[in-house]
Amino acid sequence: MPPRLPLASQRLIVITGKGGVGKTTVTAAFAQAAAAARRRVLAVEVGPGRLGTLLGAATVSHEPTRVGPRLAVARLESEAVLGDFVLSALRLRLLARRLLESTTFQVLAAAAPGLPELLVLHRVAGWLEERRLGRPAYDLVLLDAPASGHSLPLLAAPRTLGALARFGPVATLLRNMERMLHDPATTLVCLVTTPEELAVRETLELHQELDVGLGLSVGPPILNAVPRRRFTPTDVAALAALDPDDPHVVAARFHLERRRQAQAQYSTLRRTLGVSPVRLPLLFPPPETSGGIDALATDLARAAGLAA
Amino acid sequence: MTLLAQALETKRVVLCVGSGGVGKTTTAAALAGEAARRGRRTAVLTVDPAQRLKDALGLGALGSQARRVPLATVGARGAHLDAFLLDVKRTFDDLVRALASTPEQAERVLQNRLYQNLSGTLAGTAEYMAVETVYRLAEEGDYDLLVVDTPPARHAVDFLDAPRRLLALLDSRAFAILKDPTTILPAAGSRLAHLVLAAVLRALERFTGMGLVREIGEFVGAIEALTGALRDRVRRVAALLHAESTWLLLVAAPEPRLVAETDTLVRALAAIDLRIGGIVVNRTLPRALFGTATPPPAPPTGVSPTLAARLRRSYQDLRTLAAHQEAALVPLVATGGAPVVAEVPLFPGDPASLADLATIGSHLFPGGAGHVVPARGLGR
Repeated sequence: MPPRLPLASQRLIVITGKGGVGKTTVTAAFAQAAAAARRRVLAVEVGPGRLGTLLGAATVSHEPTRVGPRLAVARLESEAVLGDFVLSALRLRLLARRLLESTTFQVLAAAAPGLPELLVLHRVAGWLEERRLGRPAYDLVLLDAPASGHSLPLLAAPRTLGALARFGPVATLLRNMERMLHDPATTLVCLVTTPEELAVRETLELHQELDVGLGLSVGPPILNAVPRRRFTPTDVAALAALDPDDPHVVAARFHLERRRQAQAQYSTLRRTLGVSPVRLPLLFPPPETSGGIDALATDLARAAGLAA
Repeated sequence: MTLLAQALETKRVVLCVGSGGVGKTTTAAALAGEAARRGRRTAVLTVDPAQRLKDALGLGALGSQARRVPLATVGARGAHLDAFLLDVKRTFDDLVRALASTPEQAERVLQNRLYQNLSGTLAGTAEYMAVETVYRLAEEGDYDLLVVDTPPARHAVDFLDAPRRLLALLDSRAFAILKDPTTILPAAGSRLAHLVLAAVLRALERFTGMGLVREIGEFVGAIEALTGALRDRVRRVAALLHAESTWLLLVAAPEPRLVAETDTLVRALAAIDLRIGGIVVNRTLPRALFGTATPPPAPPTGVSPTLAARLRRSYQDLRTLAAHQEAALVPLVATGGAPVVAEVPLFPGDPASLADLATIGSHLFPGGAGHVVPARGLGR
């Protein structure tokens, strides 16, 4: 079967989706898969999350922490990034400090909607451009973006601000960011969802906004936590004769119902988007509490055509 | 009477808080349905329900107008439940119109380009507007009870803290600075200070390329006329959130990731003097069936060895999950610092109809108000 999520020259993968669908787990697994395929990978989370823990980092900061031979992890906090930016822009330390006093800072951040988001992208672009020993420091940056409602402002920031800033260094910055995000050879957006109605609907809406609305390159959706096929039609017929209150039968019926609903959501995604989603299995115990990341990394490597 | 039933009968506002993806919206809708069944005139305010739930609640079309939920179809004749969808931007515009002394004054704010950008994004305003809707309904809505679904955890605090933050912003040096930027200089008011600042501001404008400073000044000027009325309003909204008659319900699921998120939420709530009154745990596996206290039962007899093996796998999966849930639940409840008032079983899919909500209601209030719909899902 050909890879469903072919990873070619892209250097930035933005991973987003509804809260609780496993974005961070998928980011961690994807990072492991790419690092195992000999790419130098930086996995980045926005705001405090579990990405560092999942990848085995003791601490995570805004500077990349090495967690493997070709794998590093970093965390960006939009407020801290904005603070750095104001300091470097204003140079006058006293003035900058005063500007950064909490409420004033809020006004400043709010007065330029999208500025904190833009600065997150700016840092990411910096990592993409960073070179070490004459070659890029990172082949691939994976961005564990905020949940859907908040990732749209992140990805729309260059455009939102572009309407306000027409000249000066910020305008140049905006044009560079927009070029990076809109170049399909550089950036790919991946939407993660679980096979549940609410999450799938949000995925379809977000796909529409990012693909048609913003003109970004959006990959096939990653359908996480799909129950594996377990029972044959003969099995299902045999279940009907068993005591429905037997815990085994309750569990089997639950599995079948979940699998049926997952299949329905898979079809909805495929029909609406016209591409086959990448399926990741529902794991027991949940992947973040055991070696489940490795299992997901294997599946993602196959889907992305990444050879170890 | 359970703590939850007592809250529904004595409180005026129930705020459902918790992380994303734990079933807050569904829980809020099911609670509101139960309160209505018990004879209270109830409204549920929701942030983002799934389409089918939206349809079930009669919220198919956009807008924040009330929709009467047809509870009679699920055997609750005479129960009164209205559903509202929170519409942030429109509420803010409405508030500006209500507080402005003349229509011209309102238009001056509404037409400001910065306002148009800010009304959706200014720190805390989106959340404030949601709380504002709660206040308006509590004051004018003629309801006995409001059940409110809040945005996901990290934002729930922004939501609840919105009145204070907006007040702080209005009273802050920031606003004063924006009106007269020279106040940030040590020797404010001197001619030299003005010259230095003018140069800095010009540099800032050149740097950002956005006639930012001038536009902020205009915005502050326009909104200032409203701040007196706004301050008063915001104080009353804050008082409602902290009132004895308001109850915070933590909606959670027994997942390890939620322990840290709940901890953050509880601390942030404590910082603004709010406490969780009770916890609803969604997505639990029934201990009687999958608990780890008893050894695993033998699979049913009289089936083929392959089917028996598959049945064992399915059973073992849920038993493994149950063990993880049990391990996660203890620290979760300890962190929440409140009693578990109900456990709702894991369902194979999203609850999508009023009948599903009634089923959840029957788990929230076991042995409660005469349901016509049999329980579905894993709970028996």
